[in-house]
Amino acid sequence: LAYFKDADEVYAYIGRLFEELAVDDELAPKFKKANTIVQYQYREPESQITVKLVEGEDGQVDCGATTLEPEVVMTMDADTAHRFWLGKVNVTVALTRGQIKTKGPVAKILKLVPLVRPVFPRYRGILEEAGRKDLLEAA
Amino acid sequence: MEEAGSALDPTPLEGFKDFYQYASTTRVIVGRGLLESTGFEFHKEGARRVLLVTDQVIRGTGLVEKVEAGITGGGLELAGIFDEVPQDSSTSVCDRCAEAARESGADSFLALGGGSVMDTAKVADAVFAHGGTAREQEGFFLMPRDDDGMGRPLDIAPLACIPTTAGTGSEVSMAAVIKEPEERIKLEIADFPLFPRLAILDPETTRTLPAAVAAATGMDAMTHAVEGYVSQDWSPHQDARSLHALRMIRDNLERAVQAGEGEEEARGNMLIGANLAITLALGSVHAMSHPVGAHFGVPHGVANAIHLPHVIRFNAAGGATIAERYRDIGELFDLETGGPGVEAAEALATHITGLVERLGLPTRLSQAGVPESGIPALVEGAMGDGTTLLNPREVGEEDYAELYRRAL
Repeated sequence: LAYFKDADEVYAYIGRLFEELAVDDELAPKFKKANTIVQYQYREPESQITVKLVEGEDGQVDCGATTLEPEVVMTMDADTAHRFWLGKVNVTVALTRGQIKTKGPVAKILKLVPLVRPVFPRYRGILEEAGRKDLLEAA
Repeated sequence: MEEAGSALDPTPLEGFKDFYQYASTTRVIVGRGLLESTGFEFHKEGARRVLLVTDQVIRGTGLVEKVEAGITGGGLELAGIFDEVPQDSSTSVCDRCAEAARESGADSFLALGGGSVMDTAKVADAVFAHGGTAREQEGFFLMPRDDDGMGRPLDIAPLACIPTTAGTGSEVSMAAVIKEPEERIKLEIADFPLFPRLAILDPETTRTLPAAVAAATGMDAMTHAVEGYVSQDWSPHQDARSLHALRMIRDNLERAVQAGEGEEEARGNMLIGANLAITLALGSVHAMSHPVGAHFGVPHGVANAIHLPHVIRFNAAGGATIAERYRDIGELFDLETGGPGVEAAEALATHITGLVERLGLPTRLSQAGVPESGIPALVEGAMGDGTTLLNPREVGEEDYAELYRRAL
């Protein structure tokens, strides 16, 4: 059984995490060094989050339909995304096993991976604040 | 895919791993006088009309004629020869090679050359079989698969490789690295269908190799073996290959470069050593060397030779289990490896620098034409290289900047 019951739940938690990161005084400038637009395409439930990370410009996060044209597309189960933001997915193993698939200049995203460590507790905090102990424990 | 703690924490370099996979599907034949059997052997892999992929340098050695005779002598047809591969091949060359295969009616590819030639043939074969452009092939495990992309990867045309350098190991790997000149990056492409079906290792192919190229490619092989042994993506399977590759490189590299008595044996053994050393489980040496090649044209093996000692010191300072792995390697080289792990790693780093000097290669980036002003772009490239994630010690921008400064 998938962790999230529908796309709205994905947007409520993972989408909100991206929205917070996009305006974070400390983290946003670091992530914008990627200088790209990334689209996360999730399965089970079908959902999509597009994130604009461009230096010198405001961040933009679109949950669902978007007019942004992604340069990098990452495809995975929403469960994998959830577990990633809890710090429980080894990216290289997930890429090796095909659990995360990427399209486009992946180098721009790979260099962000070491930066995400401080984001894990924030995602956990979002779930705790929403009273979603079930999601915290399910992973 | 369950890991304890944060997934960004380094994987322990000991114990039973949560996960790894190992594959080596290329049929390798090794020996003397094998070039005349090229067609006979490639026929067994499904080839009928062969596009021979090579470069202008190999054209001048007489090897092309020998392989051509081997192809036709084995009952295969030579569809054509594509000899436009440069030292550092690019996406446009791969696209032209795929087009040459289509126009000539080829049904298979035979690469005769070094890493650039073999990687060109791999990517061209993928474009030939699945369409699109070379640029669009980028990525790990992204080649077309049946069952909506979740099943078995679709085959490419039969591919055979005859390496003319002992270094890259591309003849038995499922990876290719190709330059994208406009973006000044090196594209990394890896998936199971890129394993060549056949590799032919014959010391005849490295007989005319210039000493400097033999030295640089040999150091590339050595770097594969060292990084493969300490990578976060280590495995007992690769450990066995890496350690024996290092024994063979230890015993044969300098003899193969210097020429003289026993030279043919040394060259043959270096072909095997490079073949055993290759792995996708690499680390920061390769992450640093890829942008140095893309921005400043430094040959890959030379860049690896320069970076390797510095990365060894950096990694060894990151933890005892990492340093102990370097101690294992030092023991193979009969180095003084008592005392703390960092001292054993220092002995190994110093030994490698001495080896690089004896081989006549530069030991500093500045000697290879890299200016200090280039460091910021190199750091950005290294941070975005997939092998950074496989390094046993976490590496940040400042770390890379410092490593490049030390190597300068």
